[in-house]
Amino acid sequence: MANSQASSSRSGYYEENYFSIDDILATHERIKCKFEVPVFRLGFLDMTTDNEHISPGSKLDLPFWLARVLCNKRNKKKHIADVEIPKQYKESYREILLADANVVDLHKLGPYYYTFGAQLLKFDPADASDIASSLVQTFQGRFRNIMDSSQNAYNEDNARLTAKLDEMEKDLFKAGQKGLNDFQDWETRRVEKLQTSTMVVNHKKRKRAALIE
Amino acid sequence: MGFINDLRKDFYDVIDHQRVLILVGFDVDALAACKILLHLFQCDHVPYTVVPVSGREDLESAYQENSEGVKYVVMLNCGGNFDVIELLQPEDKVLFYICDSHRPIDVFNAYNAVQVKMLVEEREAGDDLPEYDQVFRDDESDEDDSGNESEGSEPSGKKRRFNPEALEKRRNRRLWEEKRTNILFEYEQYSKYGKSAALTMYQMAWKMSKDTNDLLWLAILGVTDQFINFKVDRDVYMSYIDELQHHVSRHNHRGDDVESTISVNCLRITYEEELQLTLYRHWSLFESLCHSPYLACKFRVWTMKGRKKLHEFLADMGLPLVQCQQKWTAMDVNFKDEISSMILDKMEKYGFDKQYVFLPSFHASYGYKNKVCATDVVLACSSVLESIDRDASMTDSFLSALDVLTRANVEAKEKCLGLAKMQTKAIVSQVQSFLDMNQIVSAGPFLYAFIQPGTLDVKFFSKAICLQRLAHYTLEAYASVCKSKKNRALPLVLGAPLDAELGTTIIIGIPPILDESRRSFFGKAFEQAGEMTNSRMLLDSFDSHIIQIKSEDKSKFFDALIGVLQ
Amino acid sequence: MFCEKALDLIRELQRSRGASLPPFNEDTLRHVLEEMKALYEQNQQDVNDAVQGEAGLFSGVQIRHAALERNKRCILAYLQNRLKTTRDMRWEFGSVLPADVKYNLSEAEIQWFNKYNKSLANYMRSLGEDGGLDLTQDMKPPKTLYIEVRCKVDHGEFETQEGSIVLLKKNSQHFLLRSECEHLIRQGILEHIVH
Repeated sequence: MANSQASSSRSGYYEENYFSIDDILATHERIKCKFEVPVFRLGFLDMTTDNEHISPGSKLDLPFWLARVLCNKRNKKKHIADVEIPKQYKESYREILLADANVVDLHKLGPYYYTFGAQLLKFDPADASDIASSLVQTFQGRFRNIMDSSQNAYNEDNARLTAKLDEMEKDLFKAGQKGLNDFQDWETRRVEKLQTSTMVVNHKKRKRAALIE
Repeated sequence: MGFINDLRKDFYDVIDHQRVLILVGFDVDALAACKILLHLFQCDHVPYTVVPVSGREDLESAYQENSEGVKYVVMLNCGGNFDVIELLQPEDKVLFYICDSHRPIDVFNAYNAVQVKMLVEEREAGDDLPEYDQVFRDDESDEDDSGNESEGSEPSGKKRRFNPEALEKRRNRRLWEEKRTNILFEYEQYSKYGKSAALTMYQMAWKMSKDTNDLLWLAILGVTDQFINFKVDRDVYMSYIDELQHHVSRHNHRGDDVESTISVNCLRITYEEELQLTLYRHWSLFESLCHSPYLACKFRVWTMKGRKKLHEFLADMGLPLVQCQQKWTAMDVNFKDEISSMILDKMEKYGFDKQYVFLPSFHASYGYKNKVCATDVVLACSSVLESIDRDASMTDSFLSALDVLTRANVEAKEKCLGLAKMQTKAIVSQVQSFLDMNQIVSAGPFLYAFIQPGTLDVKFFSKAICLQRLAHYTLEAYASVCKSKKNRALPLVLGAPLDAELGTTIIIGIPPILDESRRSFFGKAFEQAGEMTNSRMLLDSFDSHIIQIKSEDKSKFFDALIGVLQ
Repeated sequence: MFCEKALDLIRELQRSRGASLPPFNEDTLRHVLEEMKALYEQNQQDVNDAVQGEAGLFSGVQIRHAALERNKRCILAYLQNRLKTTRDMRWEFGSVLPADVKYNLSEAEIQWFNKYNKSLANYMRSLGEDGGLDLTQDMKPPKTLYIEVRCKVDHGEFETQEGSIVLLKKNSQHFLLRSECEHLIRQGILEHIVH
């Protein structure tokens, strides 16, 4: 497991953190945008046409960070495009999640389902409060399972358990596993054992793998 | 004399926090002794270095590499039966403490009171040890004599040459030397084993009031190793068991009401008349019966008739075959509890000798699912020690075997029990093929057999302990097949290919079945036969009855061996 | 699309989490900087054109500006996260990095590592009464003065504080002062044996 310093660089994952890798990746998720005004000289962004400019009404899949700039409902002057909330946050999906959140493969719905969902609220869509409460409920509904499985899978291959988890849930799972392992180590007195540094171990592993290749 | 009677005063307290080099031989007893000693050193913060040594060459290089700045060297089950000072050429300030069960003790070690201390009680070693005067002459007269010799060419010395006094002196000397050779031959003729190193170490711990149940268990393993690997006879073993039993009851006695308060994770040792069935707790009863030397040979399970008889025996006891053939752990509890008495009842009818079926021993239990008996742990440990894994070096095996003795290491133990089964199966199938192909031949004074190169499982038998088990199993099986009683009085010589590239063979000689003392005269015999024929052989092993020889020299060596033994 | 190269840098970081660093990706970094330069120049031109009177160019400027900011964030995050790992490596590998790990650092990163090393050493020297306090020691509370260790590789001779020489040869087992061999354990040369 990562040591204290390594994990501290990951904290601040949930709020926006300028240097956070996860946050940057989460804000790179694509979102459908419909242009309201023409944009000159940037036609190459639209791969489907050879036009020099983007004409109003054209629809493009743009990363969140760009869409965020384009859609500005408060300042009509700066408003360039409308965004369409992705379908996995829409009502039909919200109903599925409400029925039983545990069976849903959140990883497939977007590896950063929660973070991205929370970011979407910034567009202030009409059903913002529904999306927000759906995110919280989904998390609540799934939390118990994650906690259970992370606390009981000792020395097991947990690829199956984490396959359907969103990245944040995976971190939670890891934290649970760390707690479990630390407890077991304490109970069997393995905490006393001085270990080789994680980085050294990984470094050696990689060296060996390189040798085999 | 270099014998230490008071281990605490003359050994442990002398070391006093100086760094110690511990050289450990390759057997379970040595491992157990090593673990006990390490525990004590750890308690007292004595820094040490442990290096495993597999033979004399190994010992020499290990010493050269690790001796820098070391003042104290402890040797466990190695170094007792040859002159360590001559082999290692140590500096004068280095002290050797040797705790070795190999006998006879080399006379140079025994009488070197300055640098070599034997951790052996004098009365234990003293019986047949030659008197000092018989093997060493006073330095004064010795020098005098040689001085005369060198001056012999000078005129002044000429006179003295015919001096009747000097002549007399020289005659005496010659006579003395002849006598000395005879005495030494008498003394060194038989190789055998003395007190287990682990037991010696445990007794030291006990005298220092530092013994624990865990250390006691290690001592038990050491003693068990000596018995099941054919080092000591039954009487000696029983006397050790008696002694250990006192310690066991001292450590494991608890009042009735206290018992419930003791954690189940604590080690508990119990005395038991253990069934001599190989690994049966970790196998099925049926498999175990087929692989246990005594019973398998009694039934001759490798024949159709034998199998039938075995089935009959089981039926007679009222044991359903289905029960016998499933894992012991899955067997019906009633049968499990009854099995000892069932066998005891039917024993006479089938002509078994109780002392070969039951072995007074101990088992240890800790936690809810760990119950192991001493013999199983020894078998498991020695199978790891002689692992045939190609990627594992000798020292790797040594360390994993050391880990097996750590009782918390349950997974390691489970794994090597599997290895022990594999080894046992290999032994049994090799014995069967010896018998099927009539490969056990009488050479007159002894029987011999050779494992052909390229045989399946041949790798197992290039290791000493396994080869020795095979040899004893073979002899037992052969005796049970042969009509003539004569075979029971014949020793066996067994050879197995060691290294195909170097073209070497490992040869072991074991005493006949009838000889229960378990002492072997092959060490000297091999040496003589080798000298007579100039065979290229290596007496590297600490056990003198195991040698390595160039495969090409095998036949002339054998001819000579027949001559020597006749 | 904009910022794809910059995101490659971030993905690279994500892949190498918990391990030592991959080579400093100067090539991609240069690509990103070139893209930023092009964006900037294009914006400069559009602004000039707008000043000349051409209408409707501002939305384009806005998009390019966002891309510039995004690129900047990615690059800074790349550098920042690498620095953090570099700092962690001081604690994991010790004051001297293995050659192949060092090889993956850029010149500036090596300089930073050396400076960090120096600051840390100075700080540790300033602690306590005499000779300072080694903070990299005893990361776990020690239970005993001496510990049992097993040698995992042929390391060669090792001189103890008492001045005796111990040969650390593969598979030899020793009982040494904990303070002396802790860093060797962390570097994977020795293995701590507990019972």
